[in-house]
Amino acid sequence: MNNNHADAPLLRTERLNKLYPDGQVHALVDVNLAICRGEYVAIMGPSGSGKSTLLNILGALDAPTSGEVYVEGQPMSTIRDLDRLRAMKIGFVFQSFYLLPVLTALENVQVPMFEGPLPAHEREEKAVKLLELVGLPHRAHHLPEQLSVGERQRVAIARALANDPILLLADEPTGNLDTVSADGIFELFARLHRERGMTVILITHDPELGQRAKRLVRMQDGQVKSDHPVPQPAAPAE
Amino acid sequence: MHFYTFVLRNIFRRKVRSGLTLVGVAVAVGAVVALVGISDGFESSFLQLYQERNVDLLVSRKGLMDRLTSGLDERVGEKIGGLPHVKAVGAGLIDMVSLEKLGVIGVMVQGLPIGHFVFEQMKIIEGRNLTAADQKGVLVGKILAHNLHKTVGDTLSIVDEDFTIVGVYGTSIVYENGGMVMLLGTLQRLMGREHQVSGFAVVLDQHDPKTVDQVRQTINALDPVRIEAMPAADFVESTSQIQAAHAMAWMTSAVALVIGTVSMLNTMVMSVFERTREIGILRAMGWRRSLIVRMILLESVILSVAGGAVGTLAALSLTRFLSSQASVAGLISGHISAGVVGEGFVIALLVGLIGAAYPAYRGAQLLPTEAIRHE
Repeated sequence: MNNNHADAPLLRTERLNKLYPDGQVHALVDVNLAICRGEYVAIMGPSGSGKSTLLNILGALDAPTSGEVYVEGQPMSTIRDLDRLRAMKIGFVFQSFYLLPVLTALENVQVPMFEGPLPAHEREEKAVKLLELVGLPHRAHHLPEQLSVGERQRVAIARALANDPILLLADEPTGNLDTVSADGIFELFARLHRERGMTVILITHDPELGQRAKRLVRMQDGQVKSDHPVPQPAAPAE
Repeated sequence: MHFYTFVLRNIFRRKVRSGLTLVGVAVAVGAVVALVGISDGFESSFLQLYQERNVDLLVSRKGLMDRLTSGLDERVGEKIGGLPHVKAVGAGLIDMVSLEKLGVIGVMVQGLPIGHFVFEQMKIIEGRNLTAADQKGVLVGKILAHNLHKTVGDTLSIVDEDFTIVGVYGTSIVYENGGMVMLLGTLQRLMGREHQVSGFAVVLDQHDPKTVDQVRQTINALDPVRIEAMPAADFVESTSQIQAAHAMAWMTSAVALVIGTVSMLNTMVMSVFERTREIGILRAMGWRRSLIVRMILLESVILSVAGGAVGTLAALSLTRFLSSQASVAGLISGHISAGVVGEGFVIALLVGLIGAAYPAYRGAQLLPTEAIRHE
């Protein structure tokens, strides 16, 4: 990403199509979407509607069959170092957390930093701060198996923030969590958006949680069916 | 957290498998260090035998595969002695005997005439040196004496003939300490090789290569069909026993290395396969392919170098142990050169790199989205 397109949306897709190799599944059909810096977007839709495919393409994990994603105005297909884009600008949060089982919470948070510029001791200091941010300073030296599922997802979010990304992508981050933990995770996303101005795009099946974002995109059969702001409570905390 | 910490955690994740792989590499590297070390020791000890005596040239029968048992007429020595620059000529007959009843095989026996310069460098530890009257006497090297539990005055049956041990000697050369010395005439008679010697060791008054080569050519000209003079290093290197020892050592080592490398390959392929999803996650977090490759290669190299270290220590202990055993003590020097240990480490490194090359390539080629979906 460069800074020459300050006015451009953070992400814009243009007639995005994705066909899976056998040609039978048309996962995305002419998707046009623009997401600006600082937005908090929830994507909802039934299984197989193309939500995860869209998220993977937005996160430079996958390439569209046709169409283009513009990152701050620059076509993603022309960005040579997508690894660096993912490492430094994008944080991923997965439904199943995917923490490395042999590493403690503190160490898991440091894993993305191996691609960053920080020396070992600064990596650790930063990981401590990130665990504080997600409310788990006391669990730093625990292995994932010693943590509750909600705590694991918090560690995964801290890990996603390791290199100070501007974009946080979450694929059903509460799909494996109980209601209380899910609520806490959503509150955390809202706080990151509110306090850090972070752009958050998350997929959820839960309509109630979807309503807690600022913008709701509904997908069906690979297409965007609706895209509108979520009405905010009368007396917002902000 | 250091990158190495992360790599070590991965290694310790499967302790048994990592342990067994380490043992596999240890056996392979240990085999190389032990076998190559022994065969190198064999060669350097032989060379030392001549170098310590300032022997410039060795004269033996031309065209023979097995020069240790070459036969030349002992009168050739007189002709060589008369050549310019020749300071001394030592005739010697070397043969191998087995003392099977005593559990010792392959003992080198040197038959030397009284006054031979070898006698000057022998240190008599017990008893006395041979004299012209000792037709039934034998000198025994200190290792052999120890292994046979024999001492001065004891009787030794060699080729069904009884000899009395008149002295026990020590030299700096392991083969000699594990061997015996008797009078040339006695050995000639015992082996049925009258008037024959294995060859001549020639000491010159000048040791520069030019003079040595000049004398070599003059000696060869004495009887171009039967005589061949060679500098000591060339002689030792081209000796068939030495070459056979090297070949055997490397061939056995090669088999061990292939097994070690395949074992490493198997481990790393398994390890990468099991961690397919994890690698996908790392790629999703922005890890470059090169960092994935570095992680896998480093895991493999740490395992293989640790295996190499264990194997080398085992090889050093094994050769030390073997050199103290009666049956082979005279043949194996307990010392392994630093060069061979270095070779062992380089080989361990290569085993690690080669064994992990394909798994690392596969790991790096994984597509993040597919890898994350992997069950």
